[in-house]
Amino acid sequence: MRFEQWIYSIPLRIRSLFRRDTVEHELDDELQFHLEQKTQHYVASGLSVEDARRKALRDIDGLELRKEECRDARRVNRFEDLIQDLRFSIRTLRKAPGFTAAAVLTLALGIGANAAIFSVVNAVLFRGLPYPNSEQLFTLPSNQSLPDLEDIQKQTSSFAAIGGINTQALDFTGQGEPVQISGGLCNAELFDALGIHPVLGRAFSPAEDSYGGPALVVLSHGFWMRYFGGDAAIIGKSIRLSGNSYTVIGVLPREFWLPGRPKDVLVSLRVFNPSAAKERGVHFLHTYFRLKPDVSFAQASAEMGNADQWLALHYPEENTARDFADIHRRLLSLQDSIFGDVRPELLVLSASVGLVLLIACVNFASLQLARCATRQREIAIRAALGAPSGRLIRQMLTESVLLSLFGGAAGLVLAALGVRLLMTLTPADLPRIANTSIDTAVLGFTFAVSLLTGIVFGLVPALNATLFGVSAKLKEDARTTAGGASGHRLRKFLVVSEIALALVLLISAGLMIRSFALLHRIDPGFRADNLLTMRLELPEARYREQTKQRQFHRELLDGLNSIPGVQAALVSEIPMSGDYLTHNFVIEGRPRLPAGSEPEVQTRTVAGDYFRLMGIPLLAGRDFGPQDRTGGQHVALVNRAFVAQYFPGQDAVGARVDWARSDPPDWMTIVGVVGDIKHFGPSEPEEPAVYDLYSQTAQKWKRWMYPTIRGAASPGALLAQVKERLWAIDNQLPVTQVFTMNAIVASSLDHQRFNLTLLGIFAAVALALAVVGIYGVMSYSITQRTNEIGIRVALGAQHSNILWLILGQGLRLALVGGTLGIVASFALTRYMSHLLFGISPRDPQTFVAIPFVLLSVALLACYIPARRAMRVDPIVALRYE
Amino acid sequence: MSKPSDLVQGTLDLLLLKILTLEPLNGFAISIRLKQVSGDVLQVSDGSLYPALHKLEQEGWIKAEWRPSENNRRAKFYSLTRMGRRHLEREADNWNRLSAAISHVIKLEEA
Repeated sequence: MRFEQWIYSIPLRIRSLFRRDTVEHELDDELQFHLEQKTQHYVASGLSVEDARRKALRDIDGLELRKEECRDARRVNRFEDLIQDLRFSIRTLRKAPGFTAAAVLTLALGIGANAAIFSVVNAVLFRGLPYPNSEQLFTLPSNQSLPDLEDIQKQTSSFAAIGGINTQALDFTGQGEPVQISGGLCNAELFDALGIHPVLGRAFSPAEDSYGGPALVVLSHGFWMRYFGGDAAIIGKSIRLSGNSYTVIGVLPREFWLPGRPKDVLVSLRVFNPSAAKERGVHFLHTYFRLKPDVSFAQASAEMGNADQWLALHYPEENTARDFADIHRRLLSLQDSIFGDVRPELLVLSASVGLVLLIACVNFASLQLARCATRQREIAIRAALGAPSGRLIRQMLTESVLLSLFGGAAGLVLAALGVRLLMTLTPADLPRIANTSIDTAVLGFTFAVSLLTGIVFGLVPALNATLFGVSAKLKEDARTTAGGASGHRLRKFLVVSEIALALVLLISAGLMIRSFALLHRIDPGFRADNLLTMRLELPEARYREQTKQRQFHRELLDGLNSIPGVQAALVSEIPMSGDYLTHNFVIEGRPRLPAGSEPEVQTRTVAGDYFRLMGIPLLAGRDFGPQDRTGGQHVALVNRAFVAQYFPGQDAVGARVDWARSDPPDWMTIVGVVGDIKHFGPSEPEEPAVYDLYSQTAQKWKRWMYPTIRGAASPGALLAQVKERLWAIDNQLPVTQVFTMNAIVASSLDHQRFNLTLLGIFAAVALALAVVGIYGVMSYSITQRTNEIGIRVALGAQHSNILWLILGQGLRLALVGGTLGIVASFALTRYMSHLLFGISPRDPQTFVAIPFVLLSVALLACYIPARRAMRVDPIVALRYE
Repeated sequence: MSKPSDLVQGTLDLLLLKILTLEPLNGFAISIRLKQVSGDVLQVSDGSLYPALHKLEQEGWIKAEWRPSENNRRAKFYSLTRMGRRHLEREADNWNRLSAAISHVIKLEEA
């Protein structure tokens, strides 16, 4: 029924709107026809033509009124009114370009900043993970071994598929220079677990994912585009990975994404590294559990607990750490595990940018109030001429919404620029941030915000202008009407709230600045200047024997140290890179703990004069030296944190330590203690660490190293020299992760810098808007009080009296706003405590200094109009009367 | 506003639709026909006729068409749509039920 009706009514409405003239013409014709017929009818009954016509007209009973009723029947009046309102608004706005520009700009700032932040939040939090039904995906916070994963699969029935993956560097050769790529070693079920299917070719099957199975590889979309130009003929061809040949069977979709380093290729773990795959004690797989559709999380979680218990019971050696009561080992939704950390951070940013919008809106409302005041007479005249107040409000709302939509459009341009800026600022470890773009969700958000802003903050001035005593306005004198006491009180209220909001943002930014400065001042424990680092990994195929590895280390160090003005050393994990390796260890002479529950320490392996090169101080004993050779007594250095934890108040030098369960035992004598370094970034405490030597370690799998090279030459020139020496030894070795140590240290503060920059920008915008707001109100109030000031001057008031009169008024506003702002900050800043370092969210220094800054700026904003007030000539002012 | 106050709300619609079941008519012809069929009991002014017709047209119950009248003058002719016919049937039923009920009540009071 409804639908059928539309078939008739929609074309009619469209016709009424767009062929208005024709429709009007037809209405005239129709009624004219009626009149003629009726006239004839009366003439036929004996009346004179003139009387007949008059009688016919009288029957219609008000021709124009009837026409209007017919027009009402078309049901497009509202729309026509809207168009009329829009036309009128555009005309009035064009007549007030200053006001229009100020309003649009204010809103553009507020809306633009929000749209930019929303596009980040949208990409990171709302758009979700690029897997079908990603809410069914779970993970374990701790890594698993493949045999454990197989047993979990057997012990549970809640999961449709369980995928596991480990990322490992692979050498990709055969395309010019040797390059290191990142390979995902996974099981075949990973594809089902994630619900990802290759766009080209296929994934490997469970049958192929077996020990001794065929060497197959699935390429990521990016890798495929980069090295094969997106050529579909690659399927079936072979590529060489770390010395072996793999047949390409599929290409993953572009959206494929996993947390951590991007994966270039996926290969079967069982095929690629059967020995590691079989090792139950090697917990190195990130896991992805897909729940069966009808299974609840509680069920799955309970099953998982049982499986944990089962594993701990059957394989106590490898699974002592499986404490099923430990919340940190429980099944966790994948979304929480990925976004859990960044959610609060983004919430703080969203809240602050929301405050900026609020301030912009308050300014917008205040601007409109000021404008209404000057338009009072116009409005009053229109009301007197019969415009119903609803119609007037609608007209003013149209104007306000029009402005806010313009502001939104301009804001979108700002947002597009802002997103670009954000992308250069964002820390690399913010997951999914690369997906940020202005998409339909952002457009919708911006439109909604603009519309809402226009309506809500246009309504206040509109109501103020129309409802409160319109009729009185006409009687009033032109000068005094400009006031509108209620309007001015409202503006003062707006300014006070603006100052309060701005202060909240300024204090937040102040706290960030303070904690950033504290972080910057922290001594990392090493000298980062003129230090170049890079990563090398010796391919297993050519460097299986440790003698070959050690020969490489020696030749490389000799080669690098022979460059004039250059010192070089090797280390397995450089500070602040995010890399670390831990081992369980035992101390000689201490009671043996059950296997698996031995304490863990950070383990770093070095070669060359590493500590002197890095400027890490030797606190006790001796440094490694030339006497510590392969085959000699095995030695180790420990850091201060190690001594504090395991040898409190004792001498660690001379004690012996070994990695737990090393077979045969490999006791290392501690020969010295070195200083702590900020290995995990300036805000993180150092953990106990043991340093051993590449020349003595039995761990032949430690084939990677970071050469750290100090030289006065520019990093570029230094790198060229390093590569020359390196490739003279082995020209097949890729060089990756080339950074100066300063860059690494700087990027360790990326998160803080990101938050600080954004909050800083928001606070600056907020301050600017608040200042504009207070300036506007003060200069307006002075215009209004010109007469009063004139009288005061005439009665003998000094310039300074006038100045203080005005400043006092401004100061009162600032003080009230400031007090409210401090109270609000006090309540709100604790939500950002996780973003702060070294200070409390109620840091007294910040809470005193920042309001003072705001107060000074506010007074300055009052001073300019106050000077104008001082120059008021009493004669001119009084003649105004 | 001179609404046909002597007409129950919606009755005018019903009458107009009924009149148009026989043949397409122009507005003037409808006004004549209205007088004829209702005698002088129902007073419908010419003024309220046109807004009512326009409303029915917007509802999709009648449709309009310009064509020559008897005296070869172009006039707007209204005719019933399929939907209008159904609406009329439904409204006529309602009307019958309502009037029957009301007469019933009135008779009760008399008794």
